[in-house]
Amino acid sequence: MNTNLKISNVSKIYPGCIANDNISLEFKSGKIYALLGENGAGKSTLVKILSGVIIPDKGEIFLNNKILKLKSPIDAKKKKIGMVFQHFNLFETLSVFENLIIDSDENRENLHEKIQSIMKKYNFSIDLDIPVLNLSAGQKQKVEIIRCLIRNPEVLIMDEPTSVLTEQETSELFSSLRQFSMEGILIIYITHKLKEVMSLCDEVAVMRKGKLVSVSKIVNEKIETLANKMVGQNLKTVRKSISNERSSEKLIKISNLSFSSEDPFETNLVNINFEVNRGECLGIAGISGNGQSELFQILSGEIISDKNSIEFNSNFIGNLNPQERREYLMAFSPEDRLEQAAIPQMKIFENVALNNFKSSNFFNNGLINENKIKEHAKKIISDFNVNTDNIELKSQFLSGGNLQKLIIGRELITSPDLLICFNPTWGLDVGAINYIHKTLIKINDQNKSIILISTDTDELLKLSDKISVIHKGKLSKIMNSDEVTSEKLGILMGGGEID
Amino acid sequence: MIIDINFVGLIITSIMASSVPLILASCGELITERSGVLNLGVEGMMIIGAISGFALMTATGSLVIAVFGAMLAGVLISTIFAFLTQTLITNHVATGLALTIFGIGISAMIGKNFVGIPGKEFPVLFESLKDAIPFLSPILFGHSIVFYFAFALPFITSYFLKKTKIGLIVRAVGDSPDSASNQGINVRLVRYLCILYGGAMCGLAGAYLSMIYTPQWIENMTGGRGWIALALVVFSTWNPIKILIGAMIFGGLTIIQFHMQAIGVRIPVQFLTALPYIVTIIVLVVISRDSRKIRLSTPSSLGKSFYKDN
Repeated sequence: MNTNLKISNVSKIYPGCIANDNISLEFKSGKIYALLGENGAGKSTLVKILSGVIIPDKGEIFLNNKILKLKSPIDAKKKKIGMVFQHFNLFETLSVFENLIIDSDENRENLHEKIQSIMKKYNFSIDLDIPVLNLSAGQKQKVEIIRCLIRNPEVLIMDEPTSVLTEQETSELFSSLRQFSMEGILIIYITHKLKEVMSLCDEVAVMRKGKLVSVSKIVNEKIETLANKMVGQNLKTVRKSISNERSSEKLIKISNLSFSSEDPFETNLVNINFEVNRGECLGIAGISGNGQSELFQILSGEIISDKNSIEFNSNFIGNLNPQERREYLMAFSPEDRLEQAAIPQMKIFENVALNNFKSSNFFNNGLINENKIKEHAKKIISDFNVNTDNIELKSQFLSGGNLQKLIIGRELITSPDLLICFNPTWGLDVGAINYIHKTLIKINDQNKSIILISTDTDELLKLSDKISVIHKGKLSKIMNSDEVTSEKLGILMGGGEID
Repeated sequence: MIIDINFVGLIITSIMASSVPLILASCGELITERSGVLNLGVEGMMIIGAISGFALMTATGSLVIAVFGAMLAGVLISTIFAFLTQTLITNHVATGLALTIFGIGISAMIGKNFVGIPGKEFPVLFESLKDAIPFLSPILFGHSIVFYFAFALPFITSYFLKKTKIGLIVRAVGDSPDSASNQGINVRLVRYLCILYGGAMCGLAGAYLSMIYTPQWIENMTGGRGWIALALVVFSTWNPIKILIGAMIFGGLTIIQFHMQAIGVRIPVQFLTALPYIVTIIVLVVISRDSRKIRLSTPSSLGKSFYKDN
């Protein structure tokens, strides 16, 4: 196969944002191309245009020098362009086979045979008859890949495929991709992870704020040069200085905490034990869906547990709800900013009052004291560098980074003893990540503690004093972060053992 | 006391007859809900079907035109719902409630001229076999074609959802409209068709009431059956076979409480009247307790609006 895919002067404009500004690129089979850029750089828009999900305002696409008009995903599939989305496009409650047959024109038997031969060839092993929700993230991705391979694609587009994978699964994915590439499939790999670009790809195109910044061969690039192109400025990364002066005064102790659920979408927790001292940050690593969300909910009081399982500041608080726990000076920053932390349709200042019902300042005899709350909101906005001056704005219109700063600010302004946060920098750009990281380090320096549940190992290694890994609801032993490497974490996250 | 076996057969027959409209409406609504659309207008669509069927029968004298006309009326009124919720993206719950209120009102208005007019006899099948076997014959033979269709429908619905490609697409759309759309499935079209199908079945259920079950027009004659049909769908965990069970229990208790009132059992009438509602819900809750199965069978996108942005 000799495939040639050309994008010519493609533009896509949304109200208030130019997602793709006159992009031209050319791809040839036999190579693996990286499309690199930060969140919001326009990579996803571009690949959605290539896969027919989005129709561009301007510009053309050529496949093998023939113009390609893509009006829907079906057109792209028929033209043998396969796409694996960042957020899986699978039907959770349907079986694997049902997921695969739904967009296929073949009959049951033929399709079954074809799937089996694909799985054999690439060494996949997936039970076709179980519902997709019982699969691991890596397996779900393989189902998506099989779905593309069934149609013998000429082009395969992978949109941030490794964000949910273990290191083991990532290396399996890479070897599959190399195999596809050798068989003549043109591969376009979208990511913001520089290491992956360096190890997998042959050529790299960098996007920033909707524009194409550069196209180059990987051999001519280094991680630093790519990072600067991607961000557009020289970045200094923060790193915590591990000091020995921290107190050894215990702040929170979790003992024999278990949780079992009948809900197939939830993970059971098995006998969790840990302690966090004052001024310390405990990092909890793991692939998403291994019980982090349940652990967060139990720690924050969304799920009530046994009274004695959580000891905070010498009080047993396992049976208290989040509001009561806040009175003991705990603070929470949940994973989903718009669903769990803030109410999107409410204004910024109203959201700020949400975690503080008890404050006598905010409410007089059941009436809202708007002026006090607004004052408070303004203080948070200036103290925590939230980039807006309109506290009447509905919080759904804040960018992810600004909303996260607002939430962290809201939690910290009451000066809690412990902040529990879950993926605080998920989906943020480098600038906002840096700010949040600096803030978290500052909290520790003020002798306050953090429990950081995160799926980003680099973040954990940067911020934690102690690290543990959660896998299938079990917590590994707790390690000092200076004796942990990302390789070790990767093994534990995949369910392996280390000495 | 000697129980006449033929009498028991007759009671079972009357139970089955009273559950027909519930089965029809529930199976229609089940398909609608499986595609992710919550249509609370079942009661309204049924009553529209009831008046349309009866009016067409009186006007044209043709039962065939009346039955299909009632289904068409259900389709038409559900088209309003589909247009509002799928094209104009209105809220499913509010639109469905409005549809019910609209249906009850407009049926009463049209129905003014039809009050007191006697219905027509609806032909039954296998009438000659009615006395062939004691007990079984009255249950199996001598019913209208709608009756037989209703008892086949849960099995047809189950087969359709589990075994056919279109059924798979309906389930997929209900599970994740975004994924379905990205796979090139026309989510809006699928949902439109499912809503219209639900409307047709509700229209048929209404026609059964006004043309076969009690052949006359009485204002508000559906009497809350639409709401029971909706409840049956939820409590059956979107399983058509369990709808059949639930409808039979409800129909059974409705009939039995009539008989108990007739015999003069010393229980307040109001309690007896409420009994079918309470017991049906309790039974369905008990047989559908497996939370894992509930999560697997509940359409994840139920009641959520979908629109494609590009």
